[in-house]
Amino acid sequence: MLAFVLLAIVMLAGGIGVITFKQPVHAALSLVVTLLGLAVTYVTLQAHFLAAIQVIVYAGAIMVLFLFVIMLLNVQGQEPTPHLRWMRPVAYAVALLAAAGIAITAFVDRAPLPTADQVAALQGGTAEALGTALFSHYVLAFQLVGVLLLTGIVGAVSLSQRGNPAAKGAPSGSEAAPEREMSHG
Amino acid sequence: MSDPAIVTFIKALVLVLVLLGGFAYMTLIERRLLGRFQHRLGPNRVGPFGLLQPIADAIKAIFKEDIVVTAADKVVYVAAPAISITFALVAFGAIPAGPAKSLFGYNPWVMNLDIGLLYVLAMTSVGVYGIFLGGWASNSKYSLLGSLRSSAQIISYELGMGLAVLSVIMIGGTLNLQKLVELNVWSISPWLWPGLAIAFVAMLISGTAEINRVPFDLPEAEQELVAGYQTEYSSIKWALYQMAEYVNMFTSAALISTLFLGGWRAPGFFNAIIPGMASWPIIWLVAKMALFIFFFIWLKATLMRLRYDQLMRFGWLYLFEIGLFAALLTGAVIAFVL
Repeated sequence: MLAFVLLAIVMLAGGIGVITFKQPVHAALSLVVTLLGLAVTYVTLQAHFLAAIQVIVYAGAIMVLFLFVIMLLNVQGQEPTPHLRWMRPVAYAVALLAAAGIAITAFVDRAPLPTADQVAALQGGTAEALGTALFSHYVLAFQLVGVLLLTGIVGAVSLSQRGNPAAKGAPSGSEAAPEREMSHG
Repeated sequence: MSDPAIVTFIKALVLVLVLLGGFAYMTLIERRLLGRFQHRLGPNRVGPFGLLQPIADAIKAIFKEDIVVTAADKVVYVAAPAISITFALVAFGAIPAGPAKSLFGYNPWVMNLDIGLLYVLAMTSVGVYGIFLGGWASNSKYSLLGSLRSSAQIISYELGMGLAVLSVIMIGGTLNLQKLVELNVWSISPWLWPGLAIAFVAMLISGTAEINRVPFDLPEAEQELVAGYQTEYSSIKWALYQMAEYVNMFTSAALISTLFLGGWRAPGFFNAIIPGMASWPIIWLVAKMALFIFFFIWLKATLMRLRYDQLMRFGWLYLFEIGLFAALLTGAVIAFVL
């Protein structure tokens, strides 16, 4: 329980950092802190496989790509443009709604804690137990998620090809040098 | 099965000290070997055979002025080398060095994780942040180009590595490194050998790329980028980057040995010399690691650096497909032949 409280503090601090840091790289690093904190939380819940995947996929790949794009474009902290101003109240409303949903789930609609044999069936969240569950009980949902991800990939490729009919599938290997002068810090 | 916490702690401490001591002498061995490859002697002046050279280098690195770039992002600038060395050191902990209870009655590993292989891959992929952030925080275009290159390179070659590793996982049916060694993936069926051999080559290439060694050392290409991500680092911070690079080299060598060459086991005929010799802890793993480390140094003395577009084309158009082919071949053999 103490571990959870400490981790929760770390994760919340990371989350607050994401929305308060002006420097985009710092914000992205705060998100990395939150994601790593979540991975450690999985470890404390005996879900080792999930923790490893969390680190490899989110911290090791997705966030590196985020930072890559931020550094390549050399984005600086900027005030929101005027046509995005209306988003602020909407964002507050959505956040309130989400918080209310979490509060209801946590305090009102309490799901019973898993029983001892349910925990035993998870076998400490090994790859084997997870794989067996995914490919037997949840096989339809698993395949649907696969189709969804494929749709996303095809969509991203078609968006990047639009207005660029000459683009071929082969990676050009261009190393767009950030010529702009850096002035952060 | 598992050791008391205090023993694990001591083992972790010893492992860290051994890795750092190994780093110090690796720099000497590498320079001596490179000297030999290039028909010269290499450093041999400090102490017998130059054996005190690493100590002289360490003292020099510590007493050098620690220059911090004025325009640097201070917090990230200081944290980046620490991130690099921390994750490089923790990654080694899951690699087993012998059979259970063989090291004075204790297990010759720090952690026997069920997901050991994924753990090593996860820690090495987080270690990229050190290189990546160091280059950005230095506020220099050469450093930034170096770190952009390194992140693009490591993400690209992780794919090839993941696919190469997949063949071994499919055959072994486990992610536990200790179980993979005990199983010995080559002994299961000769039908699996072609797939494993291709995966081994793919793993060796992507392993070299992951640790930024020649011919994949573009992040620190001195002719174009001064020293890439570590250009603006001096004194002990620079030394931390060097340590991380060599410790990553150890981890890569140990991981390739563990997955493809039987890890801590030796061929059975050693048992004919001294019974039980083939399962002595530590020495066989170190011998195999030495093999790969020699190979890495040999590559450095032999090959030239790839161009950036060649690097990307090779990673995505050849290595990825070769790894995929090995995985499909192994999968087909498991499904239809065995």
